[in-house]
Amino acid sequence: MGELTDLWVGVQNWLFETFVGPVIFWLGQMAWYEPAYSAVEFVMLGVVQIVVIALGMRFFERRWPLEKAGDDRLIGVDRVYTALNKLGIVPFAIFVITYPISQEIELLMRSWGMAPPRLERLLPWLGDNVLASFLVYFVLYDFAAYWLHRAQHAAPWWWALHSLHHSQRRMTVWSDDRNHVLDDFLMTLALVLFSQMVGVQPGEYVSILMVGRLIESWSHANVDMSFGKVGERLIVGPRFHRLHHARANPDERHIHDHNFAPVFPIWDILFGTAIYDGKHRPTGVDDPRVDADNGRGWIVQQVTVFGRFLRAVTPRFLRAPVQPGLRPPAE
Amino acid sequence: MKKLAIAAITLLAVIGTARADSVLVLNSEEASYSILSRSTRTELARLPVGREPHHLVVSPDGKDVLIGSTATNELLVLDSKTGERRRVVRDIIDPYHLGFSPNGKWFVTVAYRLDHVDIFHADGFKLAGRVFIDGLPSHMTFDAGSNTVFITLQQSGRLAAFDLATQTVKWNVPVGNTPAGVVMLPDDKRLLVALTGEDGIVVIDAKDGTQTGRLQTGKGAHGFWPKGDGRHWFLSNRVEGTVSLVDTQDMKVAGTIKVPGGPDCMDITADGKELWVTQRFLRRVAVVDIEQLKVVASIPVGKSPHGVFMLKSPPAAPGSPVSPTGGPLRAVSTGSGTTR
Repeated sequence: MGELTDLWVGVQNWLFETFVGPVIFWLGQMAWYEPAYSAVEFVMLGVVQIVVIALGMRFFERRWPLEKAGDDRLIGVDRVYTALNKLGIVPFAIFVITYPISQEIELLMRSWGMAPPRLERLLPWLGDNVLASFLVYFVLYDFAAYWLHRAQHAAPWWWALHSLHHSQRRMTVWSDDRNHVLDDFLMTLALVLFSQMVGVQPGEYVSILMVGRLIESWSHANVDMSFGKVGERLIVGPRFHRLHHARANPDERHIHDHNFAPVFPIWDILFGTAIYDGKHRPTGVDDPRVDADNGRGWIVQQVTVFGRFLRAVTPRFLRAPVQPGLRPPAE
Repeated sequence: MKKLAIAAITLLAVIGTARADSVLVLNSEEASYSILSRSTRTELARLPVGREPHHLVVSPDGKDVLIGSTATNELLVLDSKTGERRRVVRDIIDPYHLGFSPNGKWFVTVAYRLDHVDIFHADGFKLAGRVFIDGLPSHMTFDAGSNTVFITLQQSGRLAAFDLATQTVKWNVPVGNTPAGVVMLPDDKRLLVALTGEDGIVVIDAKDGTQTGRLQTGKGAHGFWPKGDGRHWFLSNRVEGTVSLVDTQDMKVAGTIKVPGGPDCMDITADGKELWVTQRFLRRVAVVDIEQLKVVASIPVGKSPHGVFMLKSPPAAPGSPVSPTGGPLRAVSTGSGTTR
């Protein structure tokens, strides 16, 4: 483990001191020296995730695909989303906007003498156990992500953005990052603020993100697999999450309003949104305007979905009378 | 239960060992501190501490070491010999860098991200005054008379002098790009300021902030630590990946040590033979042989190690001088020890 850490940190240090650090120094932005070093690690983690997806998860999809037929050309754009996200390009743009906002809020609170409430004050033993601490914060983070996910479905303006994620008819391990940048920004801001509030450490945040996103990539895989009868109630797997991406049909108008949990299905079980029926359903959104996302490239998707969002936030009396795709299909 | 007993015995053993010869390192990005064995050069224990701990300082009586937990607005007080936890002082806002005045009456913290300097009565940590100042206040040093604290402002590239008794700014002058470490020399007249955004240090007249000299050391000049002879100071150059030995009498670089991984804070062993340097990026602490001026060991610790402190430092005898940041001075009076 020590050698692995040394290797990892050695590569990170080399990349930083060779390419990034000198640029920061040359630009005279030394206040960003430490965050830039963390950014290098973020990109490295992204590369690892891409390798795990491409070599590990794809193996299962190739060997035991659930949907054997379909238009594979639809998958290409999801690979672009994955590369842009995992290699830090979209996260960097989001960070530039999110960081000052979250900092201002945190600093304002602290200037009032309000320190983030740490769980360790309530549970002192937590501070002595790295793994337990990680798990507790991970569960809390996932709890917040569950409710935010429900909000993405419940608020029409947010669904206008989030429906892009659901519009994919060929769902694969590459589909997790298929999101509108504004949707990514809102989720990041909310989760960063939540993490600061409960006292997640920067190092822990990166680990949570890394493990969580890998599980989420796997849960989008084109396979009919789970972690077993007990396991699928502990960790979200492809079978559980595929139901969340199911296309609404006349008998199940709100089928996609189930199985929201990103990592721990306990939230769906507790709040009555879990379905474990093992049925195979086609994925996508039963709305021609949203379904039209399929086959579009990254830029066109971003522009058209932003249009959907603008329309959703426009007051009703200014809108055209019929505009499907702005909200989940009604009962 | 058995596991708990074993853990308790192990912890006691660690603390027992810590009494012998130990070094404390703050892992700033994982909210912990490591206790290392100087003799075996291994990590004995890693213990939790608040959130984002960066710097530490020894109390004027030498009995305590205070760790600033910036994100939780707290000071964690440890026994300076054993590293055992003593208490927590709450409501100290964003204590990024901290120090006691030489006479032990004042305790000062800089809130790096909140842009203010807090001056406390050291006895009981009662806030005497808060001075808001733009530009990311970062490191500090005091004059020998305990009248003034000098603080670098990283973002605005300035150095400011604060009157401790009135908690007002005496002067505030530009010094260069991203000033960080600052140290008052034993003559109580000259200040050295490390310019992290440049490649060296400037000499500043403590009276009015006039710049009187400059010395090139290495890119990313950052933190000082006294060698202990009253003449030489070690200086970490974070971008260059070196530590310079600065001769403050002739104002020249007397030696350069290659220390990779963004070298930052330092401390010296009581016998003056080893300099321990945190390697922020490598998650290690380098051990430098001072006679040979080279790294002889590098010990793995936690993420982004920052402050470092030799436990079992000789406590200050009553009336003996303490460093401007509160640590008992080793060997002869060397002026100030700054960043840990």
